[in-house]
Amino acid sequence: MNELVGIAIAAIIAWLNFVLIDTYLGLPEVPGVKGADIVGRSIAKRGGNLSGGFFQGNILCSPDASAGTLLAAIGVILIGLEGGLIATLLVYVGNRLCADPGYAGTTGALTTTIIVIAGSFVGLTPEMFVVGMVIAILTIQGIHHQSSSKLLGKIAKAMGRDTKLKE
Amino acid sequence: MIIHVNETYILMNYLIAIVISIIIALGLRLPLLPPKPKRFSFDVCALFPTPIIAIGILAILFALNFYWIWDGIALAIIIAIFSAIFVKYLFNYVFPKPPETQEENLEADK
Repeated sequence: MNELVGIAIAAIIAWLNFVLIDTYLGLPEVPGVKGADIVGRSIAKRGGNLSGGFFQGNILCSPDASAGTLLAAIGVILIGLEGGLIATLLVYVGNRLCADPGYAGTTGALTTTIIVIAGSFVGLTPEMFVVGMVIAILTIQGIHHQSSSKLLGKIAKAMGRDTKLKE
Repeated sequence: MIIHVNETYILMNYLIAIVISIIIALGLRLPLLPPKPKRFSFDVCALFPTPIIAIGILAILFALNFYWIWDGIALAIIIAIFSAIFVKYLFNYVFPKPPETQEENLEADK
């Protein structure tokens, strides 16, 4: 498969994988760690959405599905299926060390291991998933916090995971 | 990487580790699913994190090309038993619950 097309497809798959898993497992609802609370309220103060802000804060402060996706894809590049499973265990231990109460990181790493292995049968290499994941995280964290937090807030509302905390 | 064991056996070993660890965790009276709402993963149960720990440790050993007897099946069974016992008896000692997060979580649930 053409490398650029592969990267674009991998980026879309990675984006959907981590945003849907993170939202379903409640990242926008409650800031899991203190830093996420501060980031979320800061984004809301600058004109963003509070649920989306908590989502971004949770991504930033502890290993969630986005970190899980990236680490599992790197693990698969290095040592195949075993690498993905080792990355899952390490993300889980990392979550414990960050005192992060969520399930998202481990779940994300597991699903990514399965997706990357399945993708290798249709010509999507693990390298494409690493680049795709970096692009996916860039669209959430790197371009414009206010608009990305509003988009994440809308997704959270649609999935019934809106925050009940006040600004 | 040199693979000494058929890949089908490796996949089967992971499945064996997952199934046995869940069964033994249930036998040790761990609940199957975490208590609702499922937002606090420090509450252990049979489905999370018992199989994750089992296949993770198994993957480390397989990546080191250590399969031991019966193409790794014996290893899968032993590690599944170990991970269930670890989650039941040692988990809270190795990974103590964070007191602050727990309080915040309870407040958020209310």
